[in-house]
Parts: sequence; structure tokens; C-alpha cells
Amino acid sequence: MSVSAAIETFVNNIDASAAAYLDSCVHCGQCAQACHFYETTGDVRYTPVWKLEPMRRVYKRHKAPLSGIKKMFGLVPDEVDEDMLKEWEELIYDSCTLCGRCTIVCPMGIDIAGLVRKSREAMVAAGLVPEGLNAAAKRVLEIGRPLGIKPEIMAKIVGEQAEEVGIPIELNKVGVDYMIILSAMEVLNFYEVIGALARIFKQAGVTWTISTEAYEATNVGIQMGDKEIARTLVQRIVDAAEKLQVKYVVSPECGHAYSALNWEGPNLVGKNYDFEVIHILELLDQLVREGRIKTKSELDQRRVTFHDPCQIVRRGGIVDEPRNLLHMVSDNFIEMENYGVANICCGGGGGVSSNSRAEELRIKSFGAKKKQLDAVGPEALVTACGNCRNVLEEAIDEFGMDLPVLGLTELVAEYLDD
Amino acid sequence: MNKSMKKRLPFKRLTVMACFMMLFVWVFAAGMTGSFDLKSQAYAQTSGNVPGKTLGNQSDSDFWRQLRRGQPFDLSGTPGGMQVLIQTPGEEWRSLRNGPLSYWGGLLILVSLVFVIVFFLVHGRIKMTGGRTGRAVPRFSQPERWIHWFIASLFILLGFSGLFVMFGRYVISPIIGKDAWSAVASASMQAHNLLGPLFIVALVIMLGVYLKDNIWQKGDLTWVMQGGFFSKGHPPSWKYNLGEKFWYWLLFFAGLAVSGSGLLLDFPWLAERVQQLQLAHLIHGGSAVILIAVSLVHIYLGTIGVEGALEGMTQGYVDEKWAQEHHGWWAEEAMAEGEDVVEGAVQAGQPDNMPAE
Amino acid sequence: MTFLEITEGPLWVLASSVFVLGALWRIIGIIRFGRKPDISIPRASALMGAIKGQFLHFVPHGGFSFRTRYHLVAGYMFHLGLFALLIYAAPHVLFLKENVVGFDWVTMPRWGFILSAEIAFAGLILLWIRRISDPVMIQISDADDHIASWLTFLAMLTGCLALDESHDSLRALHMLSVEIWLIYFPFSRLMHAVTFVFSRGYTGAFFGRRGVVP
Repeated sequence: MSVSAAIETFVNNIDASAAAYLDSCVHCGQCAQACHFYETTGDVRYTPVWKLEPMRRVYKRHKAPLSGIKKMFGLVPDEVDEDMLKEWEELIYDSCTLCGRCTIVCPMGIDIAGLVRKSREAMVAAGLVPEGLNAAAKRVLEIGRPLGIKPEIMAKIVGEQAEEVGIPIELNKVGVDYMIILSAMEVLNFYEVIGALARIFKQAGVTWTISTEAYEATNVGIQMGDKEIARTLVQRIVDAAEKLQVKYVVSPECGHAYSALNWEGPNLVGKNYDFEVIHILELLDQLVREGRIKTKSELDQRRVTFHDPCQIVRRGGIVDEPRNLLHMVSDNFIEMENYGVANICCGGGGGVSSNSRAEELRIKSFGAKKKQLDAVGPEALVTACGNCRNVLEEAIDEFGMDLPVLGLTELVAEYLDD
Repeated sequence: MNKSMKKRLPFKRLTVMACFMMLFVWVFAAGMTGSFDLKSQAYAQTSGNVPGKTLGNQSDSDFWRQLRRGQPFDLSGTPGGMQVLIQTPGEEWRSLRNGPLSYWGGLLILVSLVFVIVFFLVHGRIKMTGGRTGRAVPRFSQPERWIHWFIASLFILLGFSGLFVMFGRYVISPIIGKDAWSAVASASMQAHNLLGPLFIVALVIMLGVYLKDNIWQKGDLTWVMQGGFFSKGHPPSWKYNLGEKFWYWLLFFAGLAVSGSGLLLDFPWLAERVQQLQLAHLIHGGSAVILIAVSLVHIYLGTIGVEGALEGMTQGYVDEKWAQEHHGWWAEEAMAEGEDVVEGAVQAGQPDNMPAE
Repeated sequence: MTFLEITEGPLWVLASSVFVLGALWRIIGIIRFGRKPDISIPRASALMGAIKGQFLHFVPHGGFSFRTRYHLVAGYMFHLGLFALLIYAAPHVLFLKENVVGFDWVTMPRWGFILSAEIAFAGLILLWIRRISDPVMIQISDADDHIASWLTFLAMLTGCLALDESHDSLRALHMLSVEIWLIYFPFSRLMHAVTFVFSRGYTGAFFGRRGVVP
């Protein structure tokens, strides 16, 4: 446990934007209301900006302009110490999903979620990471997969799905248009999406493949704040995609994967790719607009609503596409309150669902989402992120609700007119 | 120390304290009225000597007598209403203001202050018997707290500036000299005039927010009959006991009086005659000193006087023990209702909000 | 030198210099930290995002209520009232003309000045009340927050005391409290008045290039 490593990482991570953020906060506390952890527990320590306290202290003591003069008068904060970092581990990892609702409400436009993410890098340097994330990281480095799904298992699952839908799926095919990567959660729990993709792509006339060298989009390095692991995982995908000479890599129904690959990826590996990255929802929406996907005229009659995955919608910018797709297959799609960019987090993103210590808090934080759902009273809940799906199913179960959770890609495939 | 000695000591302390306080009061009153035999003499009242002849051989005294009685004349270059040169009621007003109003008003405030101090020394802080339970009962909602502290801040600012304006000439001016006093007086007046209208807005909102719980309820009189605040035990009461309701209604009537009169004084061109302003001034000063005097009791009780009271108005909730002891009937209702969620504390009488196991 | 001459002379020069130089030093310092270049391919314009971000955060968007409503109302009452009286009140315009910019402009009638001052006071008191009574703000507030709000209140109060404009001592007192405020400014959270443009801008730009402005 190295406090000095943490402090050094904080200092290095504070760039112009972080400094502007830390120097703009006036402690108004509006961010508290945006945070589902605070709203459901009333614990003031979960106020988003409070999670940044270690970073703020390091900044004001070591790096802030004019801190030199203030130090002479003893007007800088005390040095961050071991106790403080230990106390903040829970706040930074358990009670934050990096969902970014706090960023929306802040009158200064401070990207609080982004700074929590930066704080995690310092926590990694200090060696203060929750067990669940550490274990996933270890699996990545040792076995190569966060949830331990080896290539052989992957091939088997793909084979079974191909058989089920009656469409051959070629692995490692060179020169196709699209390479699909999937979230670990999808492969483990919701593998029907593979069959769904096969059907959709067949109708749209899209050539595609899955690489047995890089089929997982989940990037535990991004969630933890470990740049090395993040880079390794992105590099794996880039290598496989460039080897297969694909035009696009399709980022699946996974929250952070799109950001990890498209936005942070090039900066991590140090170069732009030979392929483009596209989100599955973007791709499907594009195919629909090009008329390459046809759906049944008979629409789904269930009263459904859509849960916006934070990293795709609010932090990723893919707001309209899921709605277009849902309207295409559903006759009874009702938006929940605060839909779209301001929607409430499922409670399990940002590594929280891998953190068993945070389970009780995560379930409790679902109370905020539950309020939205109770107001709509849907018969089914649709979403576009494997982790959200899993977390929502678990929470719905805990709260004794009766509400199926559906994946959007699978729903589209269900109503495919083939 | 045996039992009989213990019983006698407080009485002795009380007597000594009372004597000192009476001496204290007398000295101050003397200072304010300018004479040790407390004859309330108006400041600088002259007997009305008039100047000599102005009309040549004609007698001036009739002329001046008419002037003195406030007779209007036809004066060149003055708009309507300015034809009265000397209005004698003004002199009466001045002697009222500098005499009884200052004297009795100041005395009232001092007596209130002394009463509070003596009560504290004798009775001490009213504590919760047996300590807190640690569970919270919601008492004041956010809007109730905001408006209370808003009006309280304004009350303090206006109270101090008003006291300066009223009593400064007796108390402050002798100490700092007339030049400095004129600056302080001007400052006080400006602050008072600017913040006054804000107080009116705050008062109206406050009276509206707090009205529903300050209506007479069955049991209020019982609380008084059982000794009220001075009783040995804690007779139960509703959310506000009759003492607190009295404060509300005093604020209602005296507050509106001080506000209405204050508005006229702040916009004096709205008055038709200067006598209206004089009357407004007396009402303003009179209501204000009453409010200030009683507010001292309110502030004392809400801060150091009663343990566990202040947090109700800062955090919004009080300890279960405090609720049961001081406002038992209200506590029962509040705990059963359980609508409000208490932020940051365990709520009394509430099941845990976790999902079904 | 009289008290007034000091506060309108050397002390004014000192305070305004510390204010300007300190604020510049801090802003330039922040900008000089720089940002690592982002080589990912943007989906939309970062500049437009930065500009949009400036305006978007003037009103809390996204359906929050209660907590944000209070701050919205009280915050704007204070800020707008203060700006109105700083920029358009006659005594201030005169002072700025003689000591800062050299020209004057249209001023408010006196009742406008008083009304703005009342609104500003109301807003500031309401915000102060929130800071001392709300559990979240009690947790996150530090000395800087309280000192800054009290200094601002004092500057406003002394201004109010000097409204009669007939006592040098009161005018000097107001000047002094403003000078203390100016000197405190660059070392404190009051800098938000300048840095907010940058924080809104950076967030707007960062996400703007991704095609969304949160």
C-alpha cells in the first residue's frame, strides 16, 4: 500500500481540465441529488464531489497555482494519508458507477465521474482495489479472460447458437466487413444474442465474423483505472481485427466497451486503427434506414420501457438509435421519466457489479430505478447492455418484482421478418 | 451538604441576583432619561419663546400664536400641504419618542434580558431527562427551516440597526462622540431602510407557512394550567405549546404593525400629512421593542435554554426523547405518520426501508 | 492621509493588482497544465461542444428537482442582483469610470438599485441558510466556502450602510471590505467566477467530440 505512489499518480493525472474542475467547484451539493447512491441511502458521504476529496487535497497541496504561497502560510490541506485512502476506497469503487449524472447537473459542468475514474488510477497505484475487480484483473493477466471464458468454450457457444438458428457462423474469417466482440456478460448469460445477430446480419446481407483471439469487449482495466491492463485488452482486439482485415469492429451491448475501444483505445495503444468502430445500435439503426432490415408488421403489444445504459447514451452519445429501433418493433413503448441522457443508472456499472463487497449498496441503489419503473408500470423492460441486464434482473428479483428484462438486439431479431 | 441547605441556597442566590439586576436596571434607566430620580423629561424641550417684532408697530404675539397652533398660511412658492409652518403635534411626538417610548421600551428590553439571564442562572438549561434515545422525529420541513432562518437573519439585522437608531443617541453617542455617531446612525438607517421590505416579504411567507400548526387546539389551556413552561414535569402539548403560539400571534399582529408602519416610513411621500408619519413611527418603535423583548426569550429557549431544541431548526429533526417530553401529543402523531424521511439519522417508529429478504 | 484616501488610493491599487494578477496567474497556470492530445477520431466538433456546454449548464437539465430548484432560484437571485447593482448602480458606475475604465454608461434609477440589492441580499441569505442546514452541504463545505460568503455579505452590507453617501468613514469602510474581498478572491473558491468558463468548456469539448454534451 503506497501512499506516495497514489499521490504521484494524482499529480500526474491532473491536467488542465481536472485543474479547472477542481478550481470551479463551489460546494453547492447539487450533485448529490443526481447520484442514485445518495438518493436511496441518504448517506451524505456519497455526494459525488465528496468522492473527489483525496484528489482535491493533493491538487491544492501539490499542484494548484498559488499553492506555493498558500503553503507558506499553512493554508493548504493536510497531506493525504493511508487512513484517508482506505476510507475512500469504498466511496470511489463501491458507491460510484461512473454513470455521469452528476456531470449533467453540475452548474460548473464539472465531469465528476471522469475525475472519479482518474482517482481510481491513483487507488490502483496505492494497491487499494476491491477484491472482485482485482480477481478479474488477475484472470485477465493469467488466463486471458476476465470471467474465464476460454476460446474453446467460446467456439462451442457460437457453434450451438449457429445450430439453433440454422445459420452458419464462421470464426476467424478474413476480409469480412464486421468483426463482432461481445461483453463477457453477454457470452456468459445472454448468448442468444449471437444467434440474433446471425439472423439480422443474414437478412441485411452483412458479412461478419468472431475472432477466437479477441471476442470479449469487457475492459476491466478501464473500470478499475489500470491503464496497463486497459491497453493490453484493447491491443488484443486491435491486433485481431487488423489481422482479419475487417472494415469495422462492432461494439456490442456492453456499456463501457464502445468508449474503451473507440474513444480511449487509440490513446492507449498510441495510434489510430485500420478499421472503424461502430456500436451495434448504430449499426442496426443504419441498416434499418438503408432498408436492409425488415421487421414484421405485427408489433410487440407489451407495455415496454427502455433503460438507457449510462456509458452508451449519456457518456457515449448514442441516444436516438435505441429508440428508433424500439419504436420499430413495439407498439406500446412508453418512455420513463428522465429518459435519454438523464436516465438513472442501473446501479452496477463501472465495476460495481464485479465487486461483491458493494452488493448490498448496489441493490439498495436500485430504489431510484424502481421509482421510475413503478411510475411507468411496464410489462417488460428493454435495455442494451449486458451488465445492466444482469444487474436489473438481480435487483428486480430482490425487490420481489415481476418484470422480464429484454435485450434490444434480441428483441429486434425476434421481430425479424425472415 | 444536607438537604435543607441545598433548598435554601437557590433562594438566596435568587434574591442577591434580583437585587443586582434591579440596581443594574435603575442605573441604565437613569442614564437614558438623564436624571437619577427617573423623571421622564423629554430631551431639549424649550418653553416656546418666540422672537421679537416683525410687523413694525403691530403686535406679533397673535401672529406667532397662530403659527404655533399650526394654522396654515398662504405662502409664496410652496405646493399644497406645506402651508403649515410649525406643527405643535410634532413636539408632542418628539417628547413621546424621547420620553416614554424610549424609557419604557428600553426598560422592557432590559427586563426581558434580565429575566432570561436570571432564569438561566436559577433554572439552568432544561435537559432531556435520561438522555437521548438516538432516534429522530422529523419536526421542521425544509421550507419551514429556510423561512425561519431567513426571517431570523433579517430580524437580527433590522433589530440591531433599529436599536441603534432608537437608543444610539443615549447609549452610543456619549461613548464615541457625535461625529462618529452620525456615521453610525446614517449607516443604521440605510441598512434598516433597505432590508425592511425584505422582512415584510419574509414575514408574510413565514406567517403563511406556520399558520396551520398555530391555531388554538384543545389541550393548549391544559398545558398552561399545568404550569406550562414553569412546571416541574412536562405537561404534554401539540406541535407548538401555547407559549410558542403566543409568539406566533405576536409576530402576526406586532409584525404586521411594524411592517405596515415601516413601509410608510420607508416611502414617506405616500403619507398625506406628517402626523401620519409620526403615528407610524410610534407604532413602529412600540411594536419593535415588544418584538425584540420577546424575541430574546425565543432566542434563549431555542438555543441554550432547552437542550435538543436548536437541532430541530437546523437539521429538521429532534430526538425522540425531546419530542415526547416537550410535545408529547405531537410526537405520537408524527411518529405514527412517518411520511417524512429523515436524512442522515435513524427515524423513530419506522420500519427498515430495505427490500424484502 | 485620511482613511478614505488610503482606501481609495494605495490600498485600492494593491487590492486590484492582487486581484487581476492573482486571477491571471491562476488561470494561466491551469491552462498550462495542458491536456494530452486525443487521437481518437471525433464524431462531432469539440469547439461547438465547448460553446454549447457554456449555455447548457446555466440551467440544470435532466429532470432534477428540489435540491437544484432551490439553488437555481436563490443562486440567480444573488448573482443577477449583485451584477445588476455592480454594473448599473450610479455610485459604482462613477467609481469604475474614475478608477478603472474611463467611461461611463446608463445607470439604474435609485429604486432599481435598492431592488437589486434586496434581491441580492435575499439570495445570499437563502444560500447561506442552505449551506448551514443541509446535511450534504454541511459535509462538503469547508472554511473557504464560509469565509467567501461572509466576505461577500460584508462587502454588500457595508455598501448598504454607505447608501446615504454622506459620510467618508462609511464609504471608506465599504472600500476596505471590497479590497479585502478582492485580495481574497484569487486564493479562494471565488475564482469560480472565472474558472467556470473553463470547466464547462472542457467538459463540453471532451464530450462534444463524442457527439453529446452532458
